[in-house]
Amino acid sequence: MPNVTVDGIPIAVPDGATVLQACELAGKEIPRFCYHERLSIAGNCRMCLVEVKPGPPKPQASCALPATEGQEIRTDTPMVKHAREGVMEFLLINHPLDCPICDQGGECDLQDQSIAYGRGHSRYDANKRAVTEKYMGPIVKTVMTRCIQCTRCIRFAEEVAGVEDIGALYRGEDMQITTYLEHAIQSELAGNVVDLCPVGALTSKPYAFEARPWELKKTLAIDVMDGVGSNIRLDSRGRQVLRVLPRINEDVNEEWAHDKTRHHVDGLVRRRLDKPFVRQGGKLVAASWDEAFAAIAKVARSAKGSVAAIAGDQVDCETMFAAKSLVKALGSDMLEGRQTGLAYDVSNLGAVNFNSTIAGVEDADAILLIGSNLRWEAPLINTRVRKAIKRGARVFGIGPEVDLTYAVEWFGNDASLIAKLPKAATDAFKDAKRPMVIVGGGALKLDGVQGAAMGLIKTLKLVSEGWNGFNVVHTSASRMGGLMLGFAQTGGIADIVAAKPRLAFFLGADEVDYSGFEGSFKVYIGHHGDAGAHAADVVLPGASYAEKHGTWVNTEGRVQYSDKAVFAPGDAREDWSILRALADACGVDVGFDSFDGLRAAMITAVPALGREGLAGYDFSAPKLDAKAQMKLGGEIAYPIADFYLTNAICRASPTMQRCSSEILHGDEMLEAAE
Amino acid sequence: MIAHLFKSFFLVEFVKAHWLTLKYFFKPKATINYPYEKNPLSPRFRGEHALRRYPNGEERCIACKLCEAVCPAQAITIEAEPRDDGSRRTTRYDIDMTKCIYCGFCQEACPVDAIVEGPNFEYSTETREELIYDKGKLLENGDKWERAIAANLAADAPYR
Amino acid sequence: MTAWFASWGLTYEAAWLVATIVGILAIALPLMLAVAMIIYADRKIWAAIALRRGPNVVGPFGLLQSFADGLKVFLQETIIPSGANRGLFLIAPIITFTVALMAWAVIPFQAGVVLANINVGLLYILAISSLGVYGVVISGWASNSKYPFFSALRAAAQMISYEVSIGFILISVVLYAGSFNLSVITLAQKGNILGIFSANGLNPLLFPISVMFLISSMAETARAPFDLTEAESELVAGYQTEYSSMSFALFWLGEYANVILMCALNAILFWGGWLPPVDWAPLYAVPGIIWLFAKILLFFFIFSWVKATVPRYRYDQLMRLGWKVFLPISLFWVCLVSGWLMLTRYS
Repeated sequence: MPNVTVDGIPIAVPDGATVLQACELAGKEIPRFCYHERLSIAGNCRMCLVEVKPGPPKPQASCALPATEGQEIRTDTPMVKHAREGVMEFLLINHPLDCPICDQGGECDLQDQSIAYGRGHSRYDANKRAVTEKYMGPIVKTVMTRCIQCTRCIRFAEEVAGVEDIGALYRGEDMQITTYLEHAIQSELAGNVVDLCPVGALTSKPYAFEARPWELKKTLAIDVMDGVGSNIRLDSRGRQVLRVLPRINEDVNEEWAHDKTRHHVDGLVRRRLDKPFVRQGGKLVAASWDEAFAAIAKVARSAKGSVAAIAGDQVDCETMFAAKSLVKALGSDMLEGRQTGLAYDVSNLGAVNFNSTIAGVEDADAILLIGSNLRWEAPLINTRVRKAIKRGARVFGIGPEVDLTYAVEWFGNDASLIAKLPKAATDAFKDAKRPMVIVGGGALKLDGVQGAAMGLIKTLKLVSEGWNGFNVVHTSASRMGGLMLGFAQTGGIADIVAAKPRLAFFLGADEVDYSGFEGSFKVYIGHHGDAGAHAADVVLPGASYAEKHGTWVNTEGRVQYSDKAVFAPGDAREDWSILRALADACGVDVGFDSFDGLRAAMITAVPALGREGLAGYDFSAPKLDAKAQMKLGGEIAYPIADFYLTNAICRASPTMQRCSSEILHGDEMLEAAE
Repeated sequence: MIAHLFKSFFLVEFVKAHWLTLKYFFKPKATINYPYEKNPLSPRFRGEHALRRYPNGEERCIACKLCEAVCPAQAITIEAEPRDDGSRRTTRYDIDMTKCIYCGFCQEACPVDAIVEGPNFEYSTETREELIYDKGKLLENGDKWERAIAANLAADAPYR
Repeated sequence: MTAWFASWGLTYEAAWLVATIVGILAIALPLMLAVAMIIYADRKIWAAIALRRGPNVVGPFGLLQSFADGLKVFLQETIIPSGANRGLFLIAPIITFTVALMAWAVIPFQAGVVLANINVGLLYILAISSLGVYGVVISGWASNSKYPFFSALRAAAQMISYEVSIGFILISVVLYAGSFNLSVITLAQKGNILGIFSANGLNPLLFPISVMFLISSMAETARAPFDLTEAESELVAGYQTEYSSMSFALFWLGEYANVILMCALNAILFWGGWLPPVDWAPLYAVPGIIWLFAKILLFFFIFSWVKATVPRYRYDQLMRLGWKVFLPISLFWVCLVSGWLMLTRYS
């Protein structure tokens, strides 16, 4: 703990801290462009100059200078002020004065800092440098003339995203940031460089020129694009969400968000269901709410308890609970949330949870991936695995080989390997203090995999004091919440198909195989005109996650609350109110009249949903049918075929479609063209 | 007391007042015959808004939204997106003239002298709807008044 | 005129009827025209004193402004408030208008040219002008609205206050002329001042009450500075608040007809009526009606002049002036005039 003084304030700083961090601890603001807490130190912008004694009699870059015992740091001397003004003047020499047409305007570090630390005018009257644009894909728009060469984007791509697509060419004034071959950044985290760029050189392409930061309403929400539950902020204007930015949550997403989270928003205003539809003569015809309710109520009265509800991937807990209440009131308990046919045992929620927590991944020293394409199923868990590798962890994989941006020792694509692990793995795990297994949704589809993976808890000693290394990665934002609310049948969705319900509610369920529900009266309550709406007999327009308050539980069992940013379009209503009105139409009582009442009832039923944070399941391996284990084997297939088109919102989003065709199918397109 | 009584009884003050107003009756008029005569306007006069173009016909407005931000009456609404050639342009530029308070902040804020308050003050309409100007109307104003606006800007330039 | 119509072979009664109707029209129609022009003149004078231009767009010099206003008002929708007493609401402006016209029956325009040359002409005028207030009171009540109601109360009180002193002033004039007949009163003024001027007003004994009559007539017609009944800063538009369209126009017409009537009375009672101001033979070549109109216009100018000069009285000031100043003085003057006459004419 070196003791230093900052502007006369004595302070003890942690070992290894830099002078800049010491100043921050002392409450002094140090201007900076290249320094970023989550990236390596570059020390090339020189904005963070301070005066340090003992040392040479000149200002020093505080971000790259370690704090040592007895340093006297000054941030308020004329020398420091003069040095900052000088650096700022140099930076602005080649920076164009095009703030009015720059999307960064209003949230630009260079703007803010030139006002706070700049001289106010320039002495430079020669021509400015201009740099050619670089192509960085469908997400990132470049105006490279504005670049101040802080290299944050290069460091992010290399260190966090794990793709070496961005780099610098030439030296000095001629230095240029580029993607070398002018192709799209091959990363699902590319959008983060837009946030990192302190100037307007890298801006968001889909959001180009859309809005200014000051005209946006900021709403705190939870991402539903995957099971991680990233903390996000929805920036909306009027009735439209214009962009999504990540919020800092060290336990979940740090300060990153993947491109699907950031850029699905243009899908929220396209292909929306904005009025009820009723199928008449084989065609869906627009109807009024009363007509739609009447059609459902007629079936509900004759159904005599043969009612089911199937929840989709992006449904909040409140909606699921409301649906559960309705189904219960209609005399049934057929509920299922695993629409693609997964049927793993859920008698113990801890056994299907990401027990080590997302942040805990960083501490693991041996990781076994079982049928999990982490890069697509949970990109922000993948970055944690990268961090763990940097700290010395080894990663092994069972499943089809994919590029996870780090070195994985693949054993092959055969589920039977789980039961008899190769020696390399057992050796590595023998020495591991914090061993970890990550089971993906793809693997759980195969019979016996769940049991075999459970077996690893003992053989690999995954659970020890203060450590639980057994993890399941879910791809659906509603999965853990659904399981907590009982949206699971023993045999999965097959049980419901077999029961042939007269009336079936589909809550935004678009991945279901609807051929099994031929005889059912299908009611789709959701927000997008996708597979579910096409198959339904009655379509009730609901609200997307941005248009309602909601409770979400992520794959590690973390309960989080999301707020409503905008109103649903047209006649669409918040789902809970649809279900409440439907209960009236069917003449049953669901026991709540308001959203608050609904939430209170839900918390009474499942108290864990009332507390923000980890739900804390009891962990015990369930007793599984031994017969299934006998059939262990077969090839594992990853559940996600196309990262950018995993749900109805993304499929409706032009940006996501473009990403998919350009980043994922770019080579195929080229081949087809040849 | 007596003097006061005398004054009020003989209406002295009334007679004086009427003498004064009678003199005014024959004085020249202070007002002008408005539709036919007009007062001179300052180059800084803030009248009807107009969106200007560059001499080559390109619209000046670059959708920076500073006028929208500075407008104290929140009368300006702008929506923007990249034009086909990639430049930043408005797709919508509305001014609600019924909200506008003619403070001139918009033209002060404009970095490219695109939005200006021109010398025209005769644009009354029969309905409110006609006073909600869209981009087309504003550009048309700009084309119509460009000469006068340019002259005014030039006249005021030395003082800025 | 009756004789002229009888010469067409009509019976006397029929000829009388026709002659009367023609006489009424001959007075009422030019009067309406006069009202229109006088409104225009009023606005012009007022504007000139305020250094403004006044109406100058409709017609040459804006002369047709009143007709444009009339047309506008005529084309408007008649709005009757839902809480109003419909019958009375509609009758009120008609009363005001009719009564304002009725008084003109006894005004002599020239020697022998008078619709009804009755002996008690002045009494008739007093009676009729008292009726005029009914229009205002009824409209204020029938509107079922608080401001018109206040206005009606004010109007009633104001009329009563000033009619008392007007009565005494008129008695002084009647005493002096020895008749209630307006033609006789006019003729009595012929050369009455040193054998040169024909005006009661120049008589030192009658001059003060001629000024009082002028002021009272402003109060009687609710003109500025006594327009408390429609004080817009307090009562919106007074008793006219709920009126629109033609019923509103009738109020206006009646009001200005009343103003002209009061100007005419001023001219007749104190300033020689149709007589030339100077009793000099060549002046009689000009028709008497021209002299009368000249005097009416002069008085109207004074009305407008006062309106443009004097600010509105407060209500208590109005009442004080009426009851504490005009009433005692006019009463005193009746004694003075009658005493003077007792000493000089009848002793």
